[in-house]
Amino acid sequence: MRILVALLGLWLAVGKAKQPIDGASAFEKTGTTPLPALPGFRVVQGPTTYGPDNLFEYIDGGADAFLLFEFEELQTTTFLGPQQVEVTVDLYRHKDADRAYGIYALERPPGATPIAVGVEGYAGGDYLQFAIGSFYVKLVQSGPKADFVLRRFAEKIADKLGGRKSAPAVLGAFPEKGKVLRSEKMAPSNFLGHSFFHDGISVHYQIDGASFHLFVVRGTDSSDARKMVERYRAVAKAPAAEVKPAGSETLKDPYHGEVLLRWSGRWLWGAIEQASPLRPQLLDELGQRLIQGQ
Amino acid sequence: MSEEKSRFERRDFLKLGSAGIAASALSACATALSEQKPAVATVPEPQPRPAAPTLAPSKPDGPPRRTLGRTGLEVPTVSMGVMNADNPALVRAALDGGMVLLDTAHGYQDGRNEEMLGTVLPARKRDSFILCTKVFVSTLDRKTGKFPPETRPQEIEEKLDLSLKRLGLEHVDILYLHCQSLRESVLHQPLLEALAKAKAAGKTRFIGVSTHKNEPEVLRAAVEAKLYDVVLTAYNFRQDHHLEVQKAIGEAARAGLGIVAMKTQAGVYWDKDKKTPINMKAALKWALRDPNVHTAIPGFVSFDQLEDDLQVLRDSRLSAEEEQSLVEPTKVAGLYCQGCDTCLGQCPGGLPIPELMRSYMYGHAYRNREAAQSLLLALDLPAVPCDDCESCSVVCAKHFDVRARIRDISRLRQVPKEFLI
Repeated sequence: MRILVALLGLWLAVGKAKQPIDGASAFEKTGTTPLPALPGFRVVQGPTTYGPDNLFEYIDGGADAFLLFEFEELQTTTFLGPQQVEVTVDLYRHKDADRAYGIYALERPPGATPIAVGVEGYAGGDYLQFAIGSFYVKLVQSGPKADFVLRRFAEKIADKLGGRKSAPAVLGAFPEKGKVLRSEKMAPSNFLGHSFFHDGISVHYQIDGASFHLFVVRGTDSSDARKMVERYRAVAKAPAAEVKPAGSETLKDPYHGEVLLRWSGRWLWGAIEQASPLRPQLLDELGQRLIQGQ
Repeated sequence: MSEEKSRFERRDFLKLGSAGIAASALSACATALSEQKPAVATVPEPQPRPAAPTLAPSKPDGPPRRTLGRTGLEVPTVSMGVMNADNPALVRAALDGGMVLLDTAHGYQDGRNEEMLGTVLPARKRDSFILCTKVFVSTLDRKTGKFPPETRPQEIEEKLDLSLKRLGLEHVDILYLHCQSLRESVLHQPLLEALAKAKAAGKTRFIGVSTHKNEPEVLRAAVEAKLYDVVLTAYNFRQDHHLEVQKAIGEAARAGLGIVAMKTQAGVYWDKDKKTPINMKAALKWALRDPNVHTAIPGFVSFDQLEDDLQVLRDSRLSAEEEQSLVEPTKVAGLYCQGCDTCLGQCPGGLPIPELMRSYMYGHAYRNREAAQSLLLALDLPAVPCDDCESCSVVCAKHFDVRARIRDISRLRQVPKEFLI
């Protein structure tokens, strides 16, 4: 019996050790987010933390956009390495992985070359930024130029933080044809500027000289989705009609012009801006994938 | 036209005043005073330029405008803080709705905010909007607010050039030195020279400084520098030091600086759990009640929020009810006199307890000392109320310490009006 208990204890211990502990979990337990050590580098400032109430002290009015994406805490730490190379690491922790990716995507420059760190990252001469799990991570280097330092730091940080390494699943529903790479944008609320919409995602498309966006809004359930359609129809001054559980309609949005709108179950999806003969086909494809995936 | 509008407003005030008096002289005090404030009757004549707003609608039916200090720009009182928006349609709707001034910064959304504006502005007539951006000088020590010796003034030009490229413009209208909190930083000579150089090169028409910490010191330093045209300052009803900010704003406006208010809505919720929303329109009106604030830049992300702000642009008068909504709910519980009149007639000395409790509420909950004093002076009170009683027999339905409150607030009668800020 004792042997059995000991084996069970050993099995539990091994199992626990194997469980990934992401940075957010570590924060919950310790009050700080773990940062890796890089040989030759030492902490010279921080970690300093900022919360929703004082983030503006660190990034001024830029804080407001982070708050919309349910920012929870920033931890900033500066390291000094060989030849006076200084690296500042900012870990922005958000409520969840979708929101962390959302603020990352909002700040991502168009045409940025992606690098494989976390979900995705990009870099310039003296900076590197990436999303992973519920974190949006920014690294800035100063002092003498040192190749690969930021990349090495970023990879170690990503390993240490853990968490989801993939973009929000709904992005996979957008058709590839004509998609402008890395043009995905998420709105945490008031999608398209309409207060009756919840969060939404839009992706830019360019096909045969036409430029337009496809979008997806997710309701909490079918009834919620239909309510959003009703509100949208009212804004567009569409003739009164019963909104069925699934449907398709072209609306005249007073701010965005003609909108092709479709809905089914909890999903709304559509297209705005320049008309293209391919839009209906792309919307069919998008709708099928959404419905299959729900 | 602006004179006509002023006369109209005066007539409105008189009408409201007499109606209020007919209904209840005492309860009208707060409203009347809040209506009266924009007339700046008690504000000394500003030097060298008028600090009071110049109401000059661009069209006969256009929204009221105020002159942005020495820039001479006529700005609608409500402008757009673009920082949260990534929706060009929202910017177009704001401009079409009557807003003119747009406020962004080099660093907002890592530059994407300026790029988004760059999809809207180049298609518009250049004199139909006022574009303001800000440059943060990266060496600023955020803890001390100081610039270290290694500060590079050329960073201003480098960042401004990139901003212009993103915006698709040849010049901005106002370029702010972003996020200052110390006199010595506002007066940092190399940075002042860099700002002046940008202005001389025609890359910006005017220069300014922004602050959301230690604002009075920054406002006064901006006056001292004699180089800045505009100050963008945090200013809202929840600031503990808002009276000090208000005073410094007045000084700066009288010295000819344009004053743009930010953070006027003081967050969206009263509480951390985001369950009790702040009355955003009332909060914006509160800031605009100060005639020395020339425009405010609320941020918005929806067309509904834009419409709310446009309503304030059309009519920024703060009603007594709206003013009351700006009292923190927890404070209301302790300071709000519900006017139940349970105390009426209880005082052996015949003091008008309900009015005195309301005066206390004006003074402490609404921080409207003028209204509190006016109400007190309209009452026939003894020199030292409550002096004849050793203890108070009045029982308040909300358990206020009636005697302590009367003794506290009645002292306000002796305070000269010019100190009632």
